[in-house]
Amino acid sequence: MNTTQGPGSDPAARSARVVIVDDHAIFRSGLKADLDPSIHVVGEAATVEQAIAVIAQQRPDVVLLDVHLPGGLGGGGREVIAGSAALLHATKFLALSVSDAAEDVVAVIRAGARGYVTKTISGAEITDAVYRVAGGDAVFSPRLAGFVLDAFGTAPADIADDELDRLSARELEVMRLIARGYSYKEVAKELFISIKTVETHVSAVLRKLQLSSRHELTKWAAERRLL
Amino acid sequence: MTTVPARLPLVRRSDRFIAGVCSGLAAHLGVPVVHVRVAMVLASLAGGAGVVFYAWLWIMVPTADESARRQARRPSSPIAPAVSRDTVPAAVPWAAAPAGGGIAAPSMPDGGLRTDTASPRGLGYPALGDAAASVSEPVRPPWFRFREMRYSKEILLGAGLLLVAGILIAQLLGVDVPLGTLIPAAAVLGGASIAWMQLDETRRAGLVDKTKADQAGGWARLAAGLALVVAGVLVMVSGSGSWEQTWLALLASVAVLGGVVLVLLPWALKFWRDLEAERAGRIRETERAEIAAHLHDSVLQTLALIQRRAASEHDVVRLARAQERELRGWLFADPGKDAGQLSDRIKAVAAEVEDLLGNAVEVVCVGDTAVTEGHEALIQASREAMLNASRHGGGTVSVYLEASGGRAEVFIKDRGPGFDLQHVPEDRLGVRESIIGRMNRHGGTAAITSSSEGTEVRLGFPAAPQDSTEGKP
Repeated sequence: MNTTQGPGSDPAARSARVVIVDDHAIFRSGLKADLDPSIHVVGEAATVEQAIAVIAQQRPDVVLLDVHLPGGLGGGGREVIAGSAALLHATKFLALSVSDAAEDVVAVIRAGARGYVTKTISGAEITDAVYRVAGGDAVFSPRLAGFVLDAFGTAPADIADDELDRLSARELEVMRLIARGYSYKEVAKELFISIKTVETHVSAVLRKLQLSSRHELTKWAAERRLL
Repeated sequence: MTTVPARLPLVRRSDRFIAGVCSGLAAHLGVPVVHVRVAMVLASLAGGAGVVFYAWLWIMVPTADESARRQARRPSSPIAPAVSRDTVPAAVPWAAAPAGGGIAAPSMPDGGLRTDTASPRGLGYPALGDAAASVSEPVRPPWFRFREMRYSKEILLGAGLLLVAGILIAQLLGVDVPLGTLIPAAAVLGGASIAWMQLDETRRAGLVDKTKADQAGGWARLAAGLALVVAGVLVMVSGSGSWEQTWLALLASVAVLGGVVLVLLPWALKFWRDLEAERAGRIRETERAEIAAHLHDSVLQTLALIQRRAASEHDVVRLARAQERELRGWLFADPGKDAGQLSDRIKAVAAEVEDLLGNAVEVVCVGDTAVTEGHEALIQASREAMLNASRHGGGTVSVYLEASGGRAEVFIKDRGPGFDLQHVPEDRLGVRESIIGRMNRHGGTAAITSSSEGTEVRLGFPAAPQDSTEGKP
C-alpha cells in the first residue's frame, strides 16, 4: 500500500479531491483558500452526520477531519471515520486539530486516520500532507512522532514478544528525526536511505499505532487525558 | 416585649447546677441565686411541684447564647451562620445560598416546634443548648457543638425526666401502671423524632464539608442514641411493671420506632438529594466563574491588544502565539505532574525566545527528568541555541527534548541559510562559548551541523552521577 504510485509521486500531474470537515466556517474557508489550486474541495461538513453523508456521496481522495466535532454520539472525528469504514480503502483521512491532548490524537489515529497535523501549519505543508496521505503514506507531525515515542518507549526492541508492541531500531530513528523537525527528505538523507523507505517505516509505525493491543499504549493514552 | 430595660431577659445561664434555670431566673427577677434555689428545693418537696416547674422552665427557656444568637440578624439561610463560622472554605458559598434557606425555614413556621435556633424550646433540646453553652465557645459552629455534646445522653436525660414526671402524675391520680406501656412509647417517639429533626437541621450544614466516614460516625451515634432511649425506657418499665408489660412495651416501642422511621425517611432522603443537587450546582457555578475570570484576564485582553496592533502582522502573530501557549498550559496542564521538571524549563525558555524574537518555537518532549544543577547548563545552552536559530533561521524553530533515566538530549533545528563554524570570527562568543564551551565545562556534549538547508544544534547531558564534574576544565 505504501509503495504504490499515488498521486503524490508525480508533482506535475497531481490533483486530489478533498472534503473538509470542521465545525468552524471561518476555518473551512481559510483552509480552502490556503490549499494549492490543484486540490479540489468537493464538499464541506460541520457535524458528524453531515460529514458521513457528504463523504459517502462524494467519495473524496482525502478527508481533512477535525478531531472535535459536534453531533453524532459525541465521538467527533473518530465517529466520522467509523461511520465511513466501508470507504477506507479509497478515502484517506487526515486529522486536523488544535488539541495537543495525546488521547485525542491517538484515538483518531487508531480509528483509521492516516496522519495528524496541527491547524497552525501552512498551506504548502498541508497541501503536501494531503498528497502524501492520498498516496497511501502516513503523515507524522513532530508532535505525533513525540507521542509515538512516548507511548512505545525510546528503547529499541531487541527481543520483541509481539512485533506490534515495539518499534524497531530503524523505526525509532525515523521517529526521532521527525520529532526533531526533519522532513521525510531530510530523514532519508540523514539515514542514507530512500524517501520511499522512510515512508515505509512511517507507515509501519502508523500500523503499529493503530493495531497494537499493547496494554501500555491504552494505559498511557488514558493517563494523558489531561496532557 | 417592651419590658423595663433594667430587667434582664429570662434565659438559662451557664453558671448552673443542673440546667441553669435557677440562676437565669434569679438574674431575671433580680434575686440572689441561693434564694431561688432554696425556693425551688422547697417547692420540689411539696408534691414535686418544684421539679415540674423546673422541668417546664428547662424546656421553655432558651440558653443565653442561643438567645443572643437569635437576637442577632439572621441571614436568610439557617445554615449560613453555621457554615460561615466554619473554617472550611468549601462551605462558605453556602452562606449565600438562598435555596439553603428555602428548604428548611419555610417548612417550620415560627413558634411551635421550630427546629432551627428556636428549637431549644422543643422537648429534650434545652439540655443540648445548655450543655453547649458551658462546653464550647460561642464561636463554635452550631453543628459542631451538636456533635460534641453527646446528645444521646441528653435526650435520655430529658426523656427520663419527663417519664418521672408522668409517672408521678399517674400515681397521684391513682391510675394503675398500664399507662407504663404508653409512656415509654411516647418517650421513644419523642426521642426519635427529635433525633431525626436534629439530623435534618444540623446535619445539613455538617454534610457540606464532612466526609462519608464522618457520616457513618453520625449515623452510628444516632443509632446509639436511639438504643439508649429504648434501653432507658425498658429499664424504667421493667422496674415498675411485670415482664409481660415490658415485652408489650418493647413491641410497642419497636412498632413506633418503625413507624417513625418510615414517616421520616422520605424527608431525610429528600433533604439529602436537595443537598447533593445544591452542592453540584455550587461547584458548577464556581467553575464557570473561574473560567470566565480566566478568559477575561487572558483571552479578552489579548484580543483587545490584537485589534490595536492589527497593522503589525509580527505583533499579531506574537500575541496570538503567546496567548495560545498560555491557554494550552491552562487547559491541558496535568495537575498531578511535578512542576519544574526539565521539560517545563525547556518549554519556558522556548516561550521566552518566542516572545523575544517573534518566531514560533515548537517544542516536543519525550520523557522527563528532575532538574539537577548540571541541567542548568543544558537549559542555558538550549536557550542560546534557540536564540541563534530564531534570529538567523528566521522561521519556525523545532526543539526536541528526550530524557530517560537521567540522560537528557536537546535538539534545536532551524531552516535558515546555515553557517560554517570554522568561519565564525574568534571574538563571537555566542556559539563557541555559550553553547559548546558551556556544555563541555559541565560534562555534556554539543555538536552543530549546518548546511544551506538549516542548522541543528545537538546537546547531550549524561545521567546524574557524572553531574559532579561541574567546573571541570
